[in-house]
Amino acid sequence: MRITQSMLANNMLKQISRSYENLDKYQTQLSTGKKITRPSDDPVVAMKGIAYRSNLAEVEQFKRNFSEAYNWVENSDSALDKATQALQRIRELTVQASNDTYEETQRQAIAKEVRQLTEHLATIANTKVGDKYIFNGAKTTEPPVTVNPDGTISVSTNSQQLNIELAKGIYIPVNIPPSTAFGAGNGLFSDLQNLAASLENPSTTGNDLTGYLDKLDSHLTNLLGVRAELGARMNRIELMEDRIDSQQVIAEKMLSDNEDVDLEKVITDLKTQESVHRAALAVGARVIQPTLVDFLR
Amino acid sequence: MLSTFHGLEAARRGMMAQQAALYTTGHNIANANTEGYTRQRVQLRPTPPFPTPGLNRPSIPGQMGTGVEASSVERVREYFLDVQYRGENSKLGYWEARADAVAKMEDIMNEPSDSGLAKTMDQFWQALQDLSTHPENEGARSVVRQRGLAVVETFHYLSNSLTQIRDDIGSQIGVAVTEINSLLNQIRALNERIAEIEPNGYLPNDLYDERDRLIDQLSQFVDIQVEKHPVGGNSLPAAEGTYDVYVLNGNNKVYLVQGRNAASVSFPDGSDVDGDGGKEMPPASGVNALDIGGTTVFFSSLPNGKLRGLIEGYGYQTGTDASGQPIVKGLYPDMLANLDKLAYTFGTLFNAVHQQGYGLNGSTNHLFFAGLGGVNGAAKTITLAADIDDLANIAAATKSGETGNGNNAINLANVRSLLLSNATVSLQDGISVDLASLSLPLSSGTVETNYQGWIGQLGVDGEQANRMKSNSETLRQSVEEKRQSVSSVSLDEEMMNMIKYQHAYNAAARQITVIDEMLDKIINGMGVVGR
Repeated sequence: MRITQSMLANNMLKQISRSYENLDKYQTQLSTGKKITRPSDDPVVAMKGIAYRSNLAEVEQFKRNFSEAYNWVENSDSALDKATQALQRIRELTVQASNDTYEETQRQAIAKEVRQLTEHLATIANTKVGDKYIFNGAKTTEPPVTVNPDGTISVSTNSQQLNIELAKGIYIPVNIPPSTAFGAGNGLFSDLQNLAASLENPSTTGNDLTGYLDKLDSHLTNLLGVRAELGARMNRIELMEDRIDSQQVIAEKMLSDNEDVDLEKVITDLKTQESVHRAALAVGARVIQPTLVDFLR
Repeated sequence: MLSTFHGLEAARRGMMAQQAALYTTGHNIANANTEGYTRQRVQLRPTPPFPTPGLNRPSIPGQMGTGVEASSVERVREYFLDVQYRGENSKLGYWEARADAVAKMEDIMNEPSDSGLAKTMDQFWQALQDLSTHPENEGARSVVRQRGLAVVETFHYLSNSLTQIRDDIGSQIGVAVTEINSLLNQIRALNERIAEIEPNGYLPNDLYDERDRLIDQLSQFVDIQVEKHPVGGNSLPAAEGTYDVYVLNGNNKVYLVQGRNAASVSFPDGSDVDGDGGKEMPPASGVNALDIGGTTVFFSSLPNGKLRGLIEGYGYQTGTDASGQPIVKGLYPDMLANLDKLAYTFGTLFNAVHQQGYGLNGSTNHLFFAGLGGVNGAAKTITLAADIDDLANIAAATKSGETGNGNNAINLANVRSLLLSNATVSLQDGISVDLASLSLPLSSGTVETNYQGWIGQLGVDGEQANRMKSNSETLRQSVEEKRQSVSSVSLDEEMMNMIKYQHAYNAAARQITVIDEMLDKIINGMGVVGR
């Protein structure tokens, strides 16, 4: 083929600009750390990229939801632990008082302590975490237990479950409704108030008081049951968190595998391209320069 | 008998012819870098020998050469390569326009990234999840409102930017049509001058070059065909004649240039912005047809080239819908329509769930998104409903008066991944949405997957355009190389020729000296014998 100077020049220009294009590609890949910058670079990677990012955002959000779930369950458990301790103290006191050798003044003192402990239990029922009453179903801005002007205590019946989504489509209830924790109606509190009243009544016998022990035991069993349930839930949440943790690792790995560059490869490619580029420039400089004109005298 | 001065005349002719060749060499060197220049060669031809046969021919041993003449100056060019080049150039023009349109769209959509629509939707979804765990918290509500605003603004931004680029492409079409018309006029003018020169037996090589260069340029816009027509008179056989330039409309030729006439290209329902009387701007409703010198060429039969590529980006009509409105297709109209569908579907569905929930104050039936009058333009018109200005109206709860109930926030968070092919969708706490009654423009996949699909499609379009662009670039380059191999000026070659012609010129001059000496002998040295 007949080759002319303008062909050499054009060709050289084309090759060098193609070489620059490659250098530009590697530069972009190195500075962004991504294989692609636009969907047309690789449509499949781009499409998957969007899906993986959504997936990762989802997993990260669920992780955030876990701390909220723990917050609820752990606070509920710790409140109910305090309630169990208070109730056990009341039981001990009742056992002491059911001893008929106790004098009236001693029983009065016990009654006072029982009343105090009852109020303590009411405060526990009204536990707030942040702005929320945790034992009042979905009505978290109202206290579940109110002390009426006549001294009686009423417990709300809100039983709406609060669900937190901890995995796609899996909703875990995190709250203990007031009726479950403190007996239906106002069971626990009226029993305790009756106990205190009985202690204050001089005609109460030790046998009468022993009758309360059964009731206290059933409340204690109930509390233990609720706490067992909470423990089981906590267990389930932990298991799910484990799974979400590994899902996050997988999601991040998928995202990375899909669109992150292999640095070693790109740097090697860059170095190769760099030497090709230098060679192209050098050979261009040699070939373009001389013509017959330079040698004709 | 030969004439005494025969040798003198032959040598003179030699000098003159070599001189002409040397001057043409000079012209070639001077134009070595001129775009579209074809190297020229002087055709050297021996002049008719003496004697010519006839009754009065002298009786000499044979025909004696009489020297040389420069019979013509011709371009060294292969027409077939021009045809190939123009075909590839049209394809390149088409794919370049398409690749450019896709690249701009990719820049605007900005996916996959941390700032595209997908990310904005992700963040909105996360804010709703946070709201589901803290429904009584004003802060969480405020974040939901702000992220909702971000979604709305992203829709506005995408829609407005795409419209802006589409308008830019419209202007590019206007510029392209103006340029095509200008090229047609210049080609017509060259035809005219060439037709005036050729009958006199000349070859207007530089005008040929200019005309071919203009036709090369024109081929970038539309795939054209060229026919040559001899102009007659005393034209040389190597004369090119006038060019007729046409495009094929089905099997019919639609002439852009015919001899001394040029057609002008315009859009029948377009508009004239530069005031030259030609409607060079395409109509906003998309291109239906072009008018080429009074012939209507429908877009569907417009051949390849930059013009077609631009119109495919801008939008073209594919018929009319039930209500008589034109159906507009094209890269940008399609994506704009998709965004409208997405905004409408997402907004409507979100509202349907939101209206069933309860706010912090126990109120219900509030809209979250407003401005969803119809599918058309939904991405531009979607806004936050005024109800949401009061953060307490965000319906996070599924029941009235339950401040801690965040179950509807979870329902709302799941809107973007609801399967749109279901007739009804059941959500948490007995809330359900009757998709059939909402008559959504999207009816398969989810809001999320539909969007992903479009980005994938965009990527495939771009990948194809880039690949075809690079392919046609390579092909055009290889044809261009072949053409240059034939037609471009080689300085080495011209130097060789220069030396060659110089030597021949010098030798012819020496020949005159020899004859001069011979004549000197005859005139001054003869008849003086014995002196």
